[in-house]
Amino acid sequence: MMRNYHGIIFAYHSHPELRELAAARTAASLPFCGRYRLIDFPLSSLRNAGILNVGVIMQRDYQSLLDHISSGKAWDMSRKSGGLRMLPPFGLPEYHTGDYNGTVEALNAVSTYIQSIEEDWVILLLGNLCANIDLQAAIRQHERSGAEATAICTDHTPVGEHHRLIPGQDGLVERLSLYREGDGEGYASLEGYIFRKDKLLEIMDRCRSENLFLFHRNALNLFLADGGRMAIYVHSGYANAIKTAEQYYQVSMDMLLPENRRQIFPPDRPVRTKTHEEVSTYYGEEAVARNSLIADNCILEGEVENCILFSGTRIEAGAKLRNCIIMRGCTVGRGAELDCVIADKYSDFASGVRLTGNPKLPVVVPKGSKI
Amino acid sequence: MKKSCIAMLLAGGQGSRLYALTQNVAKPSVPFGGKYRIIDFPLSNCANSGIDTVGVLTQYRPLQLNSYIGTGQPWDLDVTDGGVYILPPYLGPGEQGSWFTGTANAIYQNMAFIESFDPENVLILSGDHIYKMDYAKMLQEHLEHDAACTIAVLQVSMEEATRFGILNLGEDGFVNQFEEKPAHPKSDLASMGIYIFNWPKLRKYLIEDENDPESSKDFGKNIIPKMLGAGEKLWPYRFDGYWRDVGTITSLWDANMDMLSTTLINLYDPAWPINSRSPVCPPHYVGEKAEVIHSIVTEGCEIDGHVENSVLAPSVRVAEGARVVYSVLMPGAVVEKGAVVEYAIIGENTVVEANAHIGAAPDGSADWGVATCGPDIRIRSGAQVPAAAMVYTGEEV
Repeated sequence: MMRNYHGIIFAYHSHPELRELAAARTAASLPFCGRYRLIDFPLSSLRNAGILNVGVIMQRDYQSLLDHISSGKAWDMSRKSGGLRMLPPFGLPEYHTGDYNGTVEALNAVSTYIQSIEEDWVILLLGNLCANIDLQAAIRQHERSGAEATAICTDHTPVGEHHRLIPGQDGLVERLSLYREGDGEGYASLEGYIFRKDKLLEIMDRCRSENLFLFHRNALNLFLADGGRMAIYVHSGYANAIKTAEQYYQVSMDMLLPENRRQIFPPDRPVRTKTHEEVSTYYGEEAVARNSLIADNCILEGEVENCILFSGTRIEAGAKLRNCIIMRGCTVGRGAELDCVIADKYSDFASGVRLTGNPKLPVVVPKGSKI
Repeated sequence: MKKSCIAMLLAGGQGSRLYALTQNVAKPSVPFGGKYRIIDFPLSNCANSGIDTVGVLTQYRPLQLNSYIGTGQPWDLDVTDGGVYILPPYLGPGEQGSWFTGTANAIYQNMAFIESFDPENVLILSGDHIYKMDYAKMLQEHLEHDAACTIAVLQVSMEEATRFGILNLGEDGFVNQFEEKPAHPKSDLASMGIYIFNWPKLRKYLIEDENDPESSKDFGKNIIPKMLGAGEKLWPYRFDGYWRDVGTITSLWDANMDMLSTTLINLYDPAWPINSRSPVCPPHYVGEKAEVIHSIVTEGCEIDGHVENSVLAPSVRVAEGARVVYSVLMPGAVVEKGAVVEYAIIGENTVVEANAHIGAAPDGSADWGVATCGPDIRIRSGAQVPAAAMVYTGEEV
């Protein structure tokens, strides 16, 4: 059954509201929860459903993404035939220099790849969605529905702006309600879609000829107007896309709640990632850690509370960290005090530095800063 | 392709003095130091020393070891023209082949494997030592002295010397005598059980030894004395770093406790990584009421209780109100509410139920020792496991 599905991950978005976090990376390659990158979620969801033929659409700033994904081995996608393919914008005209104007344009930029897909069905997933989706269950339901497409939705209210899909009496999507915030009618889309490949190519082609770029506003509305049948699969676990620094902060902090971690890291659907060989984390004589997630290879001599520490961080004695996200390889010196700080990789905080943000406006310290 | 040096890793021993911990697994695959298994140390040393061909000789309970080593990828030993090979005992036509009857016999039976790489030298390693060693330096000395065999030696105290194989040196600095556990040692240079042999020479002595019905087919007891007797040049390679044999419960516990000190052995050195095959787990979580002091903790752990002077492997859980002190918790071990684990080793996936008490602090008595619970068992709620006890099934307490 899974042999007839092909994964496509959108990893090209570089949301400006991510501020310095997206200076040299796309949202999909944001470091997350101590050891992961956001794209690990869609890659693992596909892998855990046995879907190993996957294309990753990227456009710019993809160095960190390439480093991370490499051959796709961590997700068993380094295959003799098929497997993982990184898709730079090879199908774009040369005069096109800006960002993709929308998901449909991104798809059209790699349309020759999509045409070459041997499977009948494609699964489109966001690269910056923090969710562990059971795609096997989604596919089972999709096949039972007999629809040409299935939208993957959530019954929770996601943070930030999102699209809503409103079902008719038959349970199929009747109409869209775009760019919503908070609660509303129907279900919030997680922007994951199972599509019959032929149908997707047909809509892509129509959008191209009419110069339309947007997936929901243009492509899905065209599909529905044509009488397209789209079922809804409701993912009931934790799910939030990350498009701004504030969302990054909030979703990261959500991982401190055991219930959220249970939904994001279920033992039967592990989140896979590139493994760095690391040693254990060492707690010193005076170390204090409360309500924190701490990756391997940290040396912790100071105090941390409500923090997420990535691997290779050094927290020296007397340092106090509250509500912080400290990425790989940072050092926080003696007596430094940080609150609501997101420190990007390899930043150093000298002794006695004080830096305070607010959960709604966390301080983002760019990669490699020396403070 | 001719190789300068390949390694043969003796990993077939039962490790009977680890009792419950090696009921189902060979000693080299016993978890160690949080993230590792014992075999990670020699395998990582090989990779870091530029030795890309390693034969791993297995015999006792090899299943977990086989799956752990796999393609050798975690140690970068998944290379073409070499790599890591699992070498179990095998049968040939007629009466050929048997279980390995000794360390030398194990190598003898795998001579065809060694010959296929046409090596100039063969490094013989044990699968039960914790140390970081650059075998390339040892090989260099071996070649410089044109030795038939180079033996890694460690300087020990004279009291300790009675427990080791001791090498006595001549005036030229070469080895002229080997004494196994001498009552009155003449030197303080202990053999670490790590040898580099010139392969054509070793081949000759292996065949001779195999045909000697009196021999117990052991490197220390037979091959080395035979080579000395024949006047071969045996060079001692002095090693002065951290090295521990972890063949007993006490030494295994001690060496784990050593991992809490970065001055004894620095595992944080990026130039000499000790690699392991580790499951991908989320970072470890410490709860609101957790206290973690002077300990090492790794991914997948969930800690809500008190952890002090302890070594925690992946996916260990310590519930609120539980106390873990001076203990080694192997992967997946669970300590439930109110339970106390002190001066103990808890095997993989073993559950210490609520309010059970494992082990006790040293009280000065001669029969005190580290308490050990084997893997995959449950210690019933409220049960008491005294110091030095060995629990195999959980039914006995």
